[in-house]
Amino acid sequence: MESKILKPILGVYVALFILFLYGPFIVLGIISFQQGPEGGPQFPIIEWSTYWYRHLFGMTPPSRIAPLPVGEALIRSLTLAFMTMVTSTVLGVMAAQAFRKRFRGSGFVFYLIVLGMMVPGVLTGLGISLLANNVLDIERHWFTTAFVAHVVYTFPFAFLVMLAILNRFDGSVEEASWSLGVSPARTFRKVTFPLIFPGVLSAMLFAFTLSFDEFPRTLFASGRDQTLPLAIYGTFSVEIHPNIFAFGVMTTLFSFALLAVYGILMGLSIRRAKKVAMQEEIE
Amino acid sequence: MSAVTETKRDKTRLMLLAPGVIWMLLFLIAPILMIVYVSFWTQTTFSINSTLTLESWRNFFGSEAYVGALWTTLKMWLIVLSATFLIGYPAALYIGLLVKNQTIATVLLVLCVIPFWTSFLIRVLAWRPMLGKEGAINIILQKLGLIDTPIEVLLFSELSVIIGMTQIYVVFMVGPIAFMLGRIDRNIIEAARDLGAGFGRIFWKIIFPLSLPGVVVGAIFVSVMVLGEFATSGALSGRKVNLLGNIIVTQVGSLKWAMASVVGVILTVLLGIVVAGFLRIVDLKREL
Repeated sequence: MESKILKPILGVYVALFILFLYGPFIVLGIISFQQGPEGGPQFPIIEWSTYWYRHLFGMTPPSRIAPLPVGEALIRSLTLAFMTMVTSTVLGVMAAQAFRKRFRGSGFVFYLIVLGMMVPGVLTGLGISLLANNVLDIERHWFTTAFVAHVVYTFPFAFLVMLAILNRFDGSVEEASWSLGVSPARTFRKVTFPLIFPGVLSAMLFAFTLSFDEFPRTLFASGRDQTLPLAIYGTFSVEIHPNIFAFGVMTTLFSFALLAVYGILMGLSIRRAKKVAMQEEIE
Repeated sequence: MSAVTETKRDKTRLMLLAPGVIWMLLFLIAPILMIVYVSFWTQTTFSINSTLTLESWRNFFGSEAYVGALWTTLKMWLIVLSATFLIGYPAALYIGLLVKNQTIATVLLVLCVIPFWTSFLIRVLAWRPMLGKEGAINIILQKLGLIDTPIEVLLFSELSVIIGMTQIYVVFMVGPIAFMLGRIDRNIIEAARDLGAGFGRIFWKIIFPLSLPGVVVGAIFVSVMVLGEFATSGALSGRKVNLLGNIIVTQVGSLKWAMASVVGVILTVLLGIVVAGFLRIVDLKREL
């Protein structure tokens, strides 16, 4: 049987494939412990140290190496990601709710929304900048022009996630609620929303992480105050130091923390849903 | 259903859809139309005005550097697309079809996605200490005695851009293909095997055709991202590889909005052709 030979070979291949995916990250992790401030972003490691981590937090004596401008940029990026998350999730839930029944023009609306994730960021950013500069005559800011560009990108993801959730949704509970005379708005709040909450959480996580790391749209649309990816991009043109790698390790840890919070919330909401279901069975 | 509730339902739907649709029309469609419009504006050294002219278009097609960037973009797109497919398909085949245990398959997929929680730009930068003259790959190859002198072509070349982009985008190919492979009814494969078909025949006659929608979705993802790229080529090629995206960035940097718009329109048209082409291969709406 060929698959008896094929399977182990492909197993080894997948191991190598995953090594390929993680290679740069392993190197990045190692070099973040390079000796400082003379040690550069290359091998070999002269001496292991946490210098670049301390450098990141301004805990090292001043040297010729400028600190990464992460403080304010980080706060801006977090704020922007939060704004984007809330807006695109609300828009996504609303639009997906409208798609529960097929309607005339649904194809057009579907493609219009999905187009937002298909158009390269560099084009969205360029177009919005042109509009701001030449038509609206407003100054570009991360919380205005970059914000709308981010939502254009994350709204389709939220929409698709909610669409997938609502497709599997049992509408009879809602109908039961309506027929008992509960208003549609209250039904949504009390019945529909708790049931689709795991999907909403996923949509929020998607929107937040996509916006937090979004770079091409932000580059043109954000004006003079930098967000985090722009601050990192700024270091591309100058000499690179291992502080950027130390920062990479830190942001990854932060992302995992975020992921853990998501996992906990998800687990709690599933457990609560189970509890409710059990209570119903008892009654 | 009475006419009154029907109109009421239409009204609710309209209210639910309006914010999203208006958002996309204002901040996605209008900006793209604006790019087309501005590509015909008159650009002077310090300013731009709305007198319509073909000057920027003539400049683009008259310049070897710009047209060269168009060819480079097409070339890099083709290479990275093939590389992500060739490298990604076997991995997807293993994860989506050959691993019988659902938990292991999920763990493998999650392992593939984890690197995405590191900033994109830092992932790009991490290839520098990997590929450099004194980089990890050269050190390992030298320690193994496979090479005497470091390979210099690894960094600041087309090759480094291809390696970097392939690693960053290959997962977008693996995911959809693994998903489609996972949906194949194993009984079909069993039946074919019972009828005496070898693995090669089963693969080409059953597995590959059924995974095609996944390949198309993956190819669209990778194409959209690679065609709009500029950061990877900027960071890893040492300005040797200029893609259309890089031209847009430099033109905007020197406030040449009209030329940036010309390149933007060309990029949009290119993408339209590519995506439409892929959608002709497979009717996604029917498959999904």
